[in-house]
Amino acid sequence: MSTALGPLEIPGLDNASTLQEIVWAHIRQRFDRMNSSTSTAIPPHHHGFEKRVADVKAPKSDINALILDYLTMEGYPKAAAKFCKEANLQPQQLDSSIQARQSIMHSIHSGDIETAISALNELDPELLDTNPELHFALLRLQLVELIRQCHGRDPTPAVEFATKNLGPRAAAHREFLPDLEQTMALIIFPHDKLRPELAALLSSDLRRNTAAKVNEAVLVRQNQRREAAIRQLVRMRAWAETSARSDKLDLPETLDFGLHAEGAESRHDGGHEPMITT
Amino acid sequence: MTNPYQQLHATSPPFANGDYLVPSGGLPPLSARRPSYASIVSGPPSGLGRPARSGPFSHLLNPDDASSGAHDPMASYSQHSGPEDPLDHRAGAPWQSRTGSAFPYFSRAFDLYMSKDALFPGPPLGSDEAPPASTQTTSNITSTGFLAPSYLRGTVFLRRLEEKHRARVFAEQEGAAALAANGSSSLPRPSGLASNGSSASHLPVVGAAKLGPGHRGVGGFDVLERSAPGNSATAGVSAGAGADDDDDDDIITPLPSRWNKDDKEAALEVLGDGYEVRHTGRASSDHEASAIRADHYMPPSCGVYYFEITVLNGRSDKIRTPPIAIGFASKEVSTSRAPGWEPGSWGYHGDDGYSFASQNTGQPYAEVFGVGDTVGCLVNFRAGHALFTKNGKELPIAFKDIPFKDAKRKLYPIVSLKKKEDHITTNFGQRPFLFDIDGYMKKQQDMIDNEIRLADTSRLLPGLSETSLIQELVLQFLQHDGYVETARAFAEELEAEKSALRLDPSEPFKAFNIRDDEDAHNRQRIRRAVLEGDIDLAMELTKAYYPTVLRENEHVYFRLRCRKFIEMIRKEAELNMRLEERRNSAHSAKKQQPAAYDKDEEMLEAEPEPHSHHHRHAATDSVDTPMSMEDDDDEEEEEDGIDTTGLSKLSQEALIYGMELRAEFSNDPRRETAKQLDEISSLIAYPNPLKVKEVAHLLDGSGRVAVAEELNSAILTSLGKSSRAALENLYAQTCVLLEDLRKDGGDGAFVTVESVVKDIPPARLR
Repeated sequence: MSTALGPLEIPGLDNASTLQEIVWAHIRQRFDRMNSSTSTAIPPHHHGFEKRVADVKAPKSDINALILDYLTMEGYPKAAAKFCKEANLQPQQLDSSIQARQSIMHSIHSGDIETAISALNELDPELLDTNPELHFALLRLQLVELIRQCHGRDPTPAVEFATKNLGPRAAAHREFLPDLEQTMALIIFPHDKLRPELAALLSSDLRRNTAAKVNEAVLVRQNQRREAAIRQLVRMRAWAETSARSDKLDLPETLDFGLHAEGAESRHDGGHEPMITT
Repeated sequence: MTNPYQQLHATSPPFANGDYLVPSGGLPPLSARRPSYASIVSGPPSGLGRPARSGPFSHLLNPDDASSGAHDPMASYSQHSGPEDPLDHRAGAPWQSRTGSAFPYFSRAFDLYMSKDALFPGPPLGSDEAPPASTQTTSNITSTGFLAPSYLRGTVFLRRLEEKHRARVFAEQEGAAALAANGSSSLPRPSGLASNGSSASHLPVVGAAKLGPGHRGVGGFDVLERSAPGNSATAGVSAGAGADDDDDDDIITPLPSRWNKDDKEAALEVLGDGYEVRHTGRASSDHEASAIRADHYMPPSCGVYYFEITVLNGRSDKIRTPPIAIGFASKEVSTSRAPGWEPGSWGYHGDDGYSFASQNTGQPYAEVFGVGDTVGCLVNFRAGHALFTKNGKELPIAFKDIPFKDAKRKLYPIVSLKKKEDHITTNFGQRPFLFDIDGYMKKQQDMIDNEIRLADTSRLLPGLSETSLIQELVLQFLQHDGYVETARAFAEELEAEKSALRLDPSEPFKAFNIRDDEDAHNRQRIRRAVLEGDIDLAMELTKAYYPTVLRENEHVYFRLRCRKFIEMIRKEAELNMRLEERRNSAHSAKKQQPAAYDKDEEMLEAEPEPHSHHHRHAATDSVDTPMSMEDDDDEEEEEDGIDTTGLSKLSQEALIYGMELRAEFSNDPRRETAKQLDEISSLIAYPNPLKVKEVAHLLDGSGRVAVAEELNSAILTSLGKSSRAALENLYAQTCVLLEDLRKDGGDGAFVTVESVVKDIPPARLR
């Protein structure tokens, strides 16, 4: 680095070599310090909070349990099986049970409600009978799918389906009526000019949410917990930050947990969230 | 009558005969042994484990100085001759002898059998209602004297407190062991948790009048078996807990556990275990009352604090509602004033039903209370209010906006009495409360849980829904930690999901890009090796792929070396176990091997951490161990001739390796290193460490996981990557945030991260 600075000429001090040395040493020292502070990986935040976070031990056994629980509960059988193998864990549920739920969810995700309902009846014949709300939600989704299919064409199949399957249920359970009316409105209005709440019915979120509801219902019937624990953890994190901020506790401006922090350069598929393989 | 917590907590029969008590000094504090051994002898734990101590008892001898005698070694002996005294001494105030904690007349257990009226004003002694022997007095105090009120269980506060307590007991036991070796008793310690003692003092009355010598025999036996070991532990706790409030650690200050005889107006005396307070009748002016504070302040970080008093009968003036008041106050408030009359003091007065909030004029609050009534004081730090209960019923909020947060002052439970024979007993949580405080606590927790359930997660990572965020977190974790195949399988399944969710099948969807990463593969191979116990392979691979890691992370290197040693021991132990099975089947009749072994093992178990003081030398001269069994084993092996060559070779190797390890790290200045070396070296001392539960955990497979993760983190750091996955950061952040929210008894006091994980069925290692 001395070369980078170049020779130091201090006029009038040519003979005062000791002084020159001292000055040099100073400069070198400062340079070194600058250099090291940028090159080492000391995080820029010196907030006490970050240090405390770094000191918390997140037990791997807990994290592994959260992961396996998630893969099991939310129906990712292959990943769950692989994870058991790689992390040396015992499965939380039978593979077949995870697969059964996954295939039902897959049908719903694909918009194939008929298949989903029959698979569901096979898995647990009493489920839909004892849960009219869930049954109605599935049939309503089926109606939405029909409407989507007939869009711009003859809406008769959708209307017929609604009168046959949904009308009687809405008559028996008045609370279903608004949902049915809303859905029927999709038949009348052009899909590109819908009110937001109607447009939401046509988004894939309805499929996802309905599938999640079905999954939960199956789990509850099997005396399992309703949802994966990791969801509670994530909500607890969100809630805790909100509460802490509203209590005016001393926190860094943002609490980054580093999901996108590392390997941001690997975002090479252009747009989607980076999947970093570390 | 059955106690739901029976298995957790020792209880105390009412007729422990002091005559049978032995000073514990001669016995080592083998507290761990007690549950198994004593219960065989004397049935389910019955509380005699808490030995009679001098404190609560000595008030009989020195009424004015309730427990100072506890510091005198002789005091503990004097109680053995004491049982005769209380009978006479207390004849005039019969309730005293019964109201010791051994007689929870006011506990819900008794409601089944006795009406309230019969309970309190009834005939004092030898009545038919004398409770059976199994009655417990302090069901929420553990055998080592830890006070664990039911409503605080599962809270971080109580867990911390318990950790602190355990450490203290352990230190105490070490000390007591030394004392015992000198032949001195561990009794003469400050009497701490008011857990027993009165069991001895009231004993003669019931025992003689009602139950007879047969019971005494049983009681005495039990005492003999159980009291001695428990004593040092209980005393130990008290030694620490009895000390004045430590300001050093705000989060884990102890709970109030008894009335503080050093913090009272002179007219009062503390009886029994520190739960009872009585007015001696010393004159006081009309404006004054006699108050007493508890030993510790109510720790805000527990979120909700609750205690109950019961006004006892036995007075000659027949006043039903004597001027008794309950509340809380700071330390500065004079004890000659009733709670609520002074700034920094709040109280509910029994004679007029008024509440007083730091001023001389009160507000009509609720009904009056008096003889036979149980009144509770509930402080909700989260909501900043306090209320009272009467006979199990919740009364309205009495005080709002109590400045808990800005008040640096600490608030203590307080009661005041005024007239001669005013007499109360107190439940600081040592036994079930009359009021359903557990239910109240649960409501608080449910409120918070509900808030959490509805929490908006969209701001955690803007643009991602909760579901997508979790998918990202999981995938990132899998890749970060080198679960290569899981990550790939998960990405495939996510893709299938995404593709199914497309509304327009022609619409392209973005693939989850799982880069094939050599690094992840390498790390995965290394992890596998560690998880399978093949430490040599793991180290070889690490050296090959990441040559600098072990050099630069000496602690990881050390952990690996230690694990290698442990694996050697483990292998030997497993072989040994198989050998022993075979031998047992072959020579089952030859020796009483199992019995002898059991005994040996029991003794080992009795010491909480034998290696720490017992086998420290084991690694260096491990051949001569104090275990006689090992000699037997060795002989057997010789005789047997099965696999013994392989076995002795194994142990030889382990020994040599262990010595090398010690030599290599002998100069390491870190205490942890030495500690760990000692710990694992102790393994050599046991004939079969897998069977010794104090050390078996060292051999446990979970140790592999820890080492594997540490190594993985070190490798990641060496590659310039974060050593923690995002999910782990999120977990850690949540812990710290909750911790902050827990201070001053905020919302965080009611939730824990652990409770989330606890809901998951335990993930077992294969």
